[in-house]
Amino acid sequence: MIDAMKSKILKNLTPYLFILPGFAFLLFWIVFPMIKAFQISLFEWNVMPNSSSIFLGIQNYVRAAKDSLFWLAVKNSFFYALATVIGQLFLGLLVAIILDRIAHGKIFFRTLYYLPVVTSWVVCSLLFKFIFNSSPAGLVNYVLVKSLHLLPKPVTWLNEPGTAFIALYALGIWKGIGWTMVIFLAAIQAIPEDLHQAALVDGANEWQYARKITIPLLIPTIVLTSIMLTIGAFQTYIPIALITRGNPIHRTEVILSYMYEQAFSNRDFGYGSALSYILILIVFTISQIQMKFKKEENQLY
Amino acid sequence: MKKKLTPIFGIAIVFALLLCACGGMAVGKSAADESSDSDIVEPAEVVAEPVTITFWHTYNEISPENEMLMNTLIPLFEAEHPNIKVESLPVAYEDFRTKLFTSISGGVAPDLARIDIIWTPELADMGALASIDEEMSDFADYMDLLFAGPLATNFWNGHYYGLPLDTNTKLWFYNKALYDSAGITAPASVDEMLDQCQMLKAANPDVYYFATDGTWAWVVLPWIWSFGGDITDVEVTTATGYLNGAQTVAAFEFLKELYDQGCIAPVIMGSGIDTFAGYGQDVYASLDNGPWTFPIVESQFPDKEISISPFPAGAGGSINVVGGENIVLFQQSENKEAAMEFLRFVLSKKYQEKMAEVGQLPVRVDLIESDFIKNHEYYGMFLEQLKTSKSRTAHPKWSQMDEIITNAGQLILRNEKSAQEALDEAAAQIDELLK
Repeated sequence: MIDAMKSKILKNLTPYLFILPGFAFLLFWIVFPMIKAFQISLFEWNVMPNSSSIFLGIQNYVRAAKDSLFWLAVKNSFFYALATVIGQLFLGLLVAIILDRIAHGKIFFRTLYYLPVVTSWVVCSLLFKFIFNSSPAGLVNYVLVKSLHLLPKPVTWLNEPGTAFIALYALGIWKGIGWTMVIFLAAIQAIPEDLHQAALVDGANEWQYARKITIPLLIPTIVLTSIMLTIGAFQTYIPIALITRGNPIHRTEVILSYMYEQAFSNRDFGYGSALSYILILIVFTISQIQMKFKKEENQLY
Repeated sequence: MKKKLTPIFGIAIVFALLLCACGGMAVGKSAADESSDSDIVEPAEVVAEPVTITFWHTYNEISPENEMLMNTLIPLFEAEHPNIKVESLPVAYEDFRTKLFTSISGGVAPDLARIDIIWTPELADMGALASIDEEMSDFADYMDLLFAGPLATNFWNGHYYGLPLDTNTKLWFYNKALYDSAGITAPASVDEMLDQCQMLKAANPDVYYFATDGTWAWVVLPWIWSFGGDITDVEVTTATGYLNGAQTVAAFEFLKELYDQGCIAPVIMGSGIDTFAGYGQDVYASLDNGPWTFPIVESQFPDKEISISPFPAGAGGSINVVGGENIVLFQQSENKEAAMEFLRFVLSKKYQEKMAEVGQLPVRVDLIESDFIKNHEYYGMFLEQLKTSKSRTAHPKWSQMDEIITNAGQLILRNEKSAQEALDEAAAQIDELLK
């Protein structure tokens, strides 16, 4: 009897043992730092080990609400998300629909578009920094001024927030097209071929088929992808840190770069942690709004 | 699925056990080494057991300085101290402060670091640094041995928190060929600059008279001081009346005038051709920079002629900024004795001499007066400029003050605020930090 019980307990326990390593990692690397960060956000945190910190309560959060530079960073993050998410969705979808229909070189183009996705953010950021260099020899300047004669003189791209964001948006979109393309391609291939045949029989052309059949069927995928992309966009940091460093005068700062600046450059870890919690709140709210768009009727076919 | 996973789990356990076993073996081995080593060690050895000390610095990873450190100096030290191993880590300057903070908060600070002199008060104020004057029995000897100015940058709240390692200041670097083509010579006074710029532009329309890569204090202070202005009072209690005083405002208005007339390259706003490359490619006619300009320009443009002259004088004289690095010992270091041995080594004549060969201006009084320095092609002029150079404000919040100054400079050059307006605001912000 006891043996039977033992083996039953062991049997029940087995799945938990299997998830234990992963769960332990999650606890240690995600949950613990999150709780710790919340604790830090309530203090004027002293980074020295074994030193005392001053308890501030919600003062760091109040300070954030009044910090105009922080709200500028939020605004920048918001527009970055808007521009890059729409850009990636639109271009990714376009590429996916076209790739789905071409007869030759599908794998070649798929690989080509996916290449930026697997390239390091650091490499891509430095690349874009060179491409958008303000000097006449910068690639974009060279093409616009010397080759195409579209502009009378070189643009100092990264010295103005407006033009600097053009470079940042371009990088964000270019780097993400491959990923959205792969997701959409998979979703498109899940749409039964009969629908295509039926539509053709009914006299629809490819464009009408894409517009009336493919895209509506992809709505759940589009919503899900847009949520993932939005979360990613709000967490952008590397391109800002490497291309503009928030310059000029913090005008190209996004939430994470501003948070990093506060925590690590100004050694204000309490304030930095408070900002990270505000970021979580913002991302959570936006994802919830996006989820509302997701229709329940997933199974159309 | 579960059945398939069990053997993997088993293998993982075996691996874990193996790792433990290896760890145990390694410990045993080092203990054995220790005993055999201690038989050989001379009695003079300060450290009885083999230790590894960590030394972080900002010598560029691919630079003559780092090569000298890695291939000549550290091996030399290790040969003299068989029980001490030195692990050197080059870190990029911009990331260094951050890296130090994170490692300090994690309790894994290095034993020693070569830091920008201006970070010393901040790290000392945090309690991260050991006070060298208390730790080092022979500290008093160094008081006379070292150059007083650089030594003073280690002083904070009644103690010395480090020792100077190298010192520097900036000079006016100019491209003689470009200057000759315009018929101008190195400016002795700031009053000549606008005319010189026009002459230069008349002869070479695409050339910028001067280039510098930003508006931070390191860049703007020579102008402020040479115009007779300052950032705060001597006691560092207020910036109002200094940073927004008439002379400082005049200095910024002068820079703006130069910028508006196209005399300063756009790289001052953040991006463009980097200063050394522009100098080498005959796009920038003059730079305000330190002795490292020689090795950097020489390595990229071996045939380039490099000319120097003192920083142009203004109403307040010809005053540049004292730069340089201090070597500091961290409170968290568990090998303070061994670390201090290395500290003594970096201040030895040998180390200082070797580093002087690769562009580091020494801090030992006996070396500064040596023939090598006196007859050196450019150190003499740097030392001359150092006589009038001033130090940046020693304050734990210097980095934030610096940022306020940088932003004020950007606002002025971008024509968004008048010099007076921007500096009034900056002074008020710095006053807030000094409270």
